[in-house]
Amino acid sequence: MKRYFTNRLLLFVPTLMGSLTLVFFLIHFIPGDPVEVMLGETASSVDKEALRQELGLNQPLGIQYIRFFSALLQGDLGRSLYEQGTVAELILSRFPATMELTLAAMGIALFVAFPLGILAAVKKNSLMDRIALLFSLLGLAMPNFWLGPLLMIIFSIELGWLPVSGREGLAHLILPSFTLGMLMASILIRMVRSSLLDTIHEDYIQTARAKGLSEWRVWLKHALGNSLLSVITIVGLQFGALLAGSIITETIFAWPGIGRLTIQAIQTRDYPLVQGCVLVISTSYLVVNFLTDILYHLADPRVSYGP
Amino acid sequence: MILLLLLGVALLGPAIAPYSPTEQHLEQDLLSPSQDHLLGTDKLGRDILSRILYGARISVLVGTSTVGVSLLIGLSIGSLSGYCGGWVDQLLMRLVDVLMAFPGILLAIAFTAVLGPGLNHVILALCLIGWTGYARLVRGEILALREREFIHAARALGGSPGRIIVLHLLPNLLPPLLIQATFGMAAAIIAEGSLSFLGLGVQPPTPSWGSMLNEGRQFLLIAPHLTTFPGLAIMITVLGLNLVGDGMRDRLEKRGK
Amino acid sequence: MKFKPFFLLVFAWVWVSLAACLPSPRPDRPAGYLVIALESNPTHLDPRYATDANSVRIGGLIFNALTHTDQHARLQPELAERWEAVDERTYLFHLKKGVTFHDGKPLTAADVKFTYESVLEPKNRSPRRATLRLLKAVDAIGPYQVRFRLSAPYAPFLENSTLGIVPTGTPSRGASGENSLIGSGPFSLEQFSPGEKVVLKANPSYWGGQPGLSGLVFKMIPDAIVRSLEFKKGTVDFIQNDIEPDNLIWFKKNTNASILTQQGTIFQYLGMNLDHPILKILEVRQAIAYAIDREAIIRHLLKGLATPATGLLSPSHWAYERSVPRLPYDPEEAKRLLDHAGFPDPDGDGPLPRFKLSYKTTTLDLRRRIAEAFKEQLSRVGIELEVRTYEWGTFYGDIQKGNFHLYSLSWVGITDPDIYFNLFHSSSIVPYGNNRGRYRNPEIDRLLERGRNSLSPEERKQIYRRVQKILAVELPTIPLWWVKNVVLMKRNIEGFVPFPDGDLISLKNVSIASPLPPS
Repeated sequence: MKRYFTNRLLLFVPTLMGSLTLVFFLIHFIPGDPVEVMLGETASSVDKEALRQELGLNQPLGIQYIRFFSALLQGDLGRSLYEQGTVAELILSRFPATMELTLAAMGIALFVAFPLGILAAVKKNSLMDRIALLFSLLGLAMPNFWLGPLLMIIFSIELGWLPVSGREGLAHLILPSFTLGMLMASILIRMVRSSLLDTIHEDYIQTARAKGLSEWRVWLKHALGNSLLSVITIVGLQFGALLAGSIITETIFAWPGIGRLTIQAIQTRDYPLVQGCVLVISTSYLVVNFLTDILYHLADPRVSYGP
Repeated sequence: MILLLLLGVALLGPAIAPYSPTEQHLEQDLLSPSQDHLLGTDKLGRDILSRILYGARISVLVGTSTVGVSLLIGLSIGSLSGYCGGWVDQLLMRLVDVLMAFPGILLAIAFTAVLGPGLNHVILALCLIGWTGYARLVRGEILALREREFIHAARALGGSPGRIIVLHLLPNLLPPLLIQATFGMAAAIIAEGSLSFLGLGVQPPTPSWGSMLNEGRQFLLIAPHLTTFPGLAIMITVLGLNLVGDGMRDRLEKRGK
Repeated sequence: MKFKPFFLLVFAWVWVSLAACLPSPRPDRPAGYLVIALESNPTHLDPRYATDANSVRIGGLIFNALTHTDQHARLQPELAERWEAVDERTYLFHLKKGVTFHDGKPLTAADVKFTYESVLEPKNRSPRRATLRLLKAVDAIGPYQVRFRLSAPYAPFLENSTLGIVPTGTPSRGASGENSLIGSGPFSLEQFSPGEKVVLKANPSYWGGQPGLSGLVFKMIPDAIVRSLEFKKGTVDFIQNDIEPDNLIWFKKNTNASILTQQGTIFQYLGMNLDHPILKILEVRQAIAYAIDREAIIRHLLKGLATPATGLLSPSHWAYERSVPRLPYDPEEAKRLLDHAGFPDPDGDGPLPRFKLSYKTTTLDLRRRIAEAFKEQLSRVGIELEVRTYEWGTFYGDIQKGNFHLYSLSWVGITDPDIYFNLFHSSSIVPYGNNRGRYRNPEIDRLLERGRNSLSPEERKQIYRRVQKILAVELPTIPLWWVKNVVLMKRNIEGFVPFPDGDLISLKNVSIASPLPPS
């Protein structure tokens, strides 16, 4: 097992590099010129050329790539082209916000999904089941740019309980994280329910029942354990979706996070900033993946990774 | 049953729609549902009912093609990876990781920027982002199943890897895959809407439910029917898909055990 | 089974990390501060680098300039008490005495010199460097006189006297970010969180009188609905212009905001590629102009928040020419012109078009709706318009490269009429200037050159009137409308006067009467 983990750790870096390389070439191929955006309409073409020269943007792509990577290896993410400050500063100032939002969303999703999923499976076809499924349906079918404002109208304006947007205190976190986490919660509810229902038919469950264990223990201890695998996969999978969803949620709730920063950077063709953002997003994603794999492995030692 | 209704609407849409989905009447904008316009009109005075009916086709198209293609790719790569294991597995999974660690949105922007906007490119972009999920799921399930007794038995009996995958592993994969697929279709329809939010979805005046939802979003406070109806359309479709998924799972389960 | 502990572990991990990242509660709104919602992010408050509208407007509250433009785009004194043209290449400005920066240091000619020189310095990469192209030298003569020497006569140079003045030694391109910017204006910079908010504090020792407010908070809220909800909830007091036209009705019904509208100077136009074989033909362009029903679009899509335009300069501008040929909505005339230009309609009123053109626009919803309206209106005269929406970067890149048939954009911040040179002179054809449509007219070229060299305002007025008349006939671009300024604010806010170009300087005179309960 140790060998497996060291293997995975070693692969971490090349994967990251692969991702960054892909981004690098992709963003340079998209039409659009950062210098045009930076200098606006008043600057002369001479100035624009000079700026391109200075930023090294008129050099062949291969050379730019090498420069970028060598700087990266020295820990230098470069300066943002459009915003002020270094890429590292900008990202550091926004990253905690996104992490907060994502973790809160995941927390809410787990918190809501497990009880609902379990109840739904245990009391299959009852009212509880139907309510859970309805809830899950809402979460799946409502995109967060619709759900968000609706929640705002209900909870913030009509009921007046919560603030509308921005990031200024714990109360501000509730609506955005709920909006973001709704999708994951819906998927989890169904997954938990379906997984439980699947495993309940397994032989060893019958054995457990035969052994005289109470129905609840049967469900929770045995069935749930085996559903955990699928659940973990889903959580890992959906983390990427959370990060992607954060872009929209952050825009709607005026949450100062990386998602919005990335979109802005793409729109202004701020190459260093895009690279930096992707680096951070990819790293988070890969870390979560890694942890998911570990949990997966620990939860079910039967899974092996060799031929 | 719902799905049948959906298909019916998608096919018959143009025939039963009372108005053209693109005919504009600027003066009749944002009307609430009335006798003339059962579901009201949108900002440009277009009949919403007609747009929803036409939109059914688009959404069905987006959903099925995205999921279909993604599933195929994901299935192939995932089973290959899960079954063979070893370096094949590692390589493919790293590829999946690289792609997944990558903000899909960037890919979508790159696509529409380079290829130009439009429905086909949206589907293409969604597929390219989407297959990875299926691949991981398939791989995961295969890894779990691979060590089960009945697989050992099949191998002992001398079955070739291909046979084993198709005959024994696939049927067990179907339940989670189908469930994921039904989610996937719903997700694709919504993803198209999210892309519209960022301005990258279908081009005007094409009515897709996702883009209608997004367009109507701005009028949420004054004309909520612009979002309610496409939203309901999506919800009903998702419900239908899920019911189908559940039903299939139940039946498959009975057969397999 | 071992699952339970791990299950709990996962949970614990999530919540612990959450707890570790909790934001410290910050006050939503300091007392006596006015909260303003903005749609987009100001990127640079330093006037030497500010290019986008919000940066310029907020910068105008932190910094002073030698002059500022009034409602008619004429220059009025600010830091400069008076100025004169010593000869046709030299200007002398006399500064007010007793002006201090926010840190107490006096503002003198040396600071003015520093500001302009740092813009001129190529290493500082200021986007405004090109506008100071003809400035040869800046001299400080004593503490209160500044002399500008140009290398050639250039009437539009005076427009540059609206550049905000920074203290000597202010670092260029924010080495430490712009949190420590110091100006001399009615408000000082308290906090700048890019992408989130800008907080300004009132300057009690402002030479123009202490502001009535304690401070200003500019909050970045990208979504229009959310801005409306924040206003209703009372957490936002003031919104200018970033309002969806239709939501205005909602504001009237659901909040007790006071709403001010005023003729604006933001000019929306339809740009055309004059190298395109069809668009080259004048009659085609005129036909397009007749085919567009501006009034309908303004009435329905913009909810009356614009005025049909006749040209680049709005009626409040000192060089505005009123009597230019207008182009009312006349689809029959459009059809006649197209027939006459050699593009008959192949099947009368049937679906076949005379020809196809593509129209590029951004992905902003309002722009798309307008695009769809154009498409519909042009199809009625037999022109098929293919609408293509692009995200901003791609769109702008294409436009600047001249890669388009038709597009629509707006001009903001028009002061000196010399902007015509940048837009329509043949030497300004992209990529050298902003003549994106590739318009070439020797008479216009001559007129615009004279316009920049003449120093007599009266003579310039005549020149630019002639220019406007010609352009209204030639239609290298089709004027659409001037966007009105709309201001939404709580009823207890007094003293705000909207400016045609959306300038916020009047905030220095604003005060809040007794607080109202949330609307």
